[in-house]
Amino acid sequence: MSVLLAKTLRSATFKLALVSIGLFGAVMVALFGYVYWSATTLVLSQTDSTIEAELASLRNTYDSAGRDGLVRAIEQRVTETRIASGLYQLADASFVPIAGNLKKLPAGTNGTQGWTEFRADALNPTAPGEQSLFRARWETLPGGFHLLVGRAIGDVDRFTNEMYAALAFAIGFIFVLAAVASVSVTRRTVGRIDSINTTSRAIMDSGLGKRIPLRGTQDEWDHLAQNLNSMLERIEGLMGEVKEVSDNVAHDLRTPLTRMRGRLEKASIGQRNPEHDQALIGDTIADLDDVLRIFSSLTRISQIETADRSAAFRAVDLVEIAEAVVELFDAVAEAKDVRLKVAGDRTVAITGDRDLLFDAIANLVDNAIKHGREAGQVTVEVTLNDSCAVIAISDDGPGIPAGEHQHVFRRFYRLERSRCTPGNGLGLSLVAAVASLHKARITLVDNAPGLKVELLLPLVEDSLDGNSTL
Amino acid sequence: MTGAHRRILVIEDDAETAEQIVDFLTTRGYLADLAANGNDGLLLGRSAVYAVMTIDRMLPGMDGIKIIRRLREEGIVTPALIISALGEVDDRVRGLRAGGDDYLIKPFAFSELLARVEALARRSATVVKETVLRVDDLELDLISRTASRGGREIKLLPREFQVLEYLVRNEGHVVPRTMLLEQVWDLHFDPSTNIIDVYVGRVRRKVDGEQTYPLIHTVRGVGFCVRAPR
Repeated sequence: MSVLLAKTLRSATFKLALVSIGLFGAVMVALFGYVYWSATTLVLSQTDSTIEAELASLRNTYDSAGRDGLVRAIEQRVTETRIASGLYQLADASFVPIAGNLKKLPAGTNGTQGWTEFRADALNPTAPGEQSLFRARWETLPGGFHLLVGRAIGDVDRFTNEMYAALAFAIGFIFVLAAVASVSVTRRTVGRIDSINTTSRAIMDSGLGKRIPLRGTQDEWDHLAQNLNSMLERIEGLMGEVKEVSDNVAHDLRTPLTRMRGRLEKASIGQRNPEHDQALIGDTIADLDDVLRIFSSLTRISQIETADRSAAFRAVDLVEIAEAVVELFDAVAEAKDVRLKVAGDRTVAITGDRDLLFDAIANLVDNAIKHGREAGQVTVEVTLNDSCAVIAISDDGPGIPAGEHQHVFRRFYRLERSRCTPGNGLGLSLVAAVASLHKARITLVDNAPGLKVELLLPLVEDSLDGNSTL
Repeated sequence: MTGAHRRILVIEDDAETAEQIVDFLTTRGYLADLAANGNDGLLLGRSAVYAVMTIDRMLPGMDGIKIIRRLREEGIVTPALIISALGEVDDRVRGLRAGGDDYLIKPFAFSELLARVEALARRSATVVKETVLRVDDLELDLISRTASRGGREIKLLPREFQVLEYLVRNEGHVVPRTMLLEQVWDLHFDPSTNIIDVYVGRVRRKVDGEQTYPLIHTVRGVGFCVRAPR
């Protein structure tokens, strides 16, 4: 529990929550301050104008009716405003009260001119000895009389107090609420991150089989978990492929190496025979060449896959390449009585690597002849449509079962029935690598009968887009 | 051939490989000088008495490509054969751009090394503009692009004629498959199938079929050779 608490307090989310609470609190205090300031200012300015109007009216009375008139007016107002909150007081030159409802002149205000605020007995006390806050203004009349007119501003005072109380309560409440919310949000976040961390550690410890649990909430955490899971899926797939490849490399290299070793060992203990030795050396060199060829095919494929060669792309004509491939394979096709021909458009220009495209098409044609029908038909069709250039190599042989389609591009993958034909199962991997370099798609279609392999290469505009990102 | 045209500079840091190359070239009548590192290679290369030099890509002290570039800058045009264990795809282009004349990837067959060295050595000798090539009773008319043997015309496709022409031009020398692919098809990779053999096989049937002796010979594991019987 304390570990979780410590983790919660340390977490970035919690710190972020604290910062937001602080900011929110500051905004709230500022808002309260503004409301307080504008409300009190309004109330006080209204009070001030009332006081000034009363002063002016009383001064007029004094001017017209003299001291006695003023005393009468004050007494009238005091009785009239008994229930109201008006404060009136007339004093002589030495501040001795003459008339008014202020029982005692406020201490320290004697002689002050202008505005003053003070506490005095309330005008309409609800309890004995109740005090009230007043705002008032002294005016000295001709003849040395001092006139004080004021209003109780206890309402403003009460409003201020209530404001403080509300602010204190709101701040307290918000802090409690925010603390609860941020801790619970942080806990939730820490919990989700913890489950991801636990899974990653489990993967590091025991292998790629584990997956991050989903909560089914479809929130960003679930999306993150889904993405991480599919990444793991892909890594697991690739690892499996790598393992399969290295197993196959081991198998395909060990077999001829074992054969060579055995042959040499047998020869070393046997009798020397020049003719026999010569044959043995020749066979061994041929076997070694096979091994080296597998090796260089593998490095070539991985080089195509890893190095970005698109910078070396040139304008090439697919039809010209297809024709050159067909010409190269002409003799092979003839030997198998296969009719090999190019069909489709007259010229199809794209940007690409001629050597690699040639190699890819050559591999596909080689496959079509090798795995097609004896005395069959192999066609290389190059066409151009709106979005891409299409090279389709089709044969009328037995084809590839639909279930095997996805496997044939894996390194060393060979169909069961073609195990005995020459080849190393790397051709289509190379085609796939070349295709992906050219951002092309490969599809296998049932040619009924036979197989049709289509390479769909995006047109120049697309590849230019690709280049501009370099 | 003059002495210089039998003299080869071998720049190779692996002692055993270097010894094998030198031995092999020596048995074929060449005079081979060995430089075991980049600086020695540069020093020897400057003397410019060589018909051909073979240069390893990765050398202690200096990259093989750098040596070629330095020599070219100094005006030395000795044909250079780059030998490299690096990948074929990009390095080939880089090596040739730096002034290399040909490229060979490790591991290689010695016969292929020899074929390439000989091709480069011949290139530095003068080339006579011929219009007719002859080997024994085989005749190639380079103007009309026709071939005949013993006076009887051989029907060849244009590409087949090119193959035969390249083999005949290198009469008596082994032409590796890869060189044929480069020179006739302009392909710089090994298609790892037997298409070339089948292709040359068809040319051979047309040239040597129904003849008392063959002119086109297959050299196992390497390539082909056109040779008149002795």
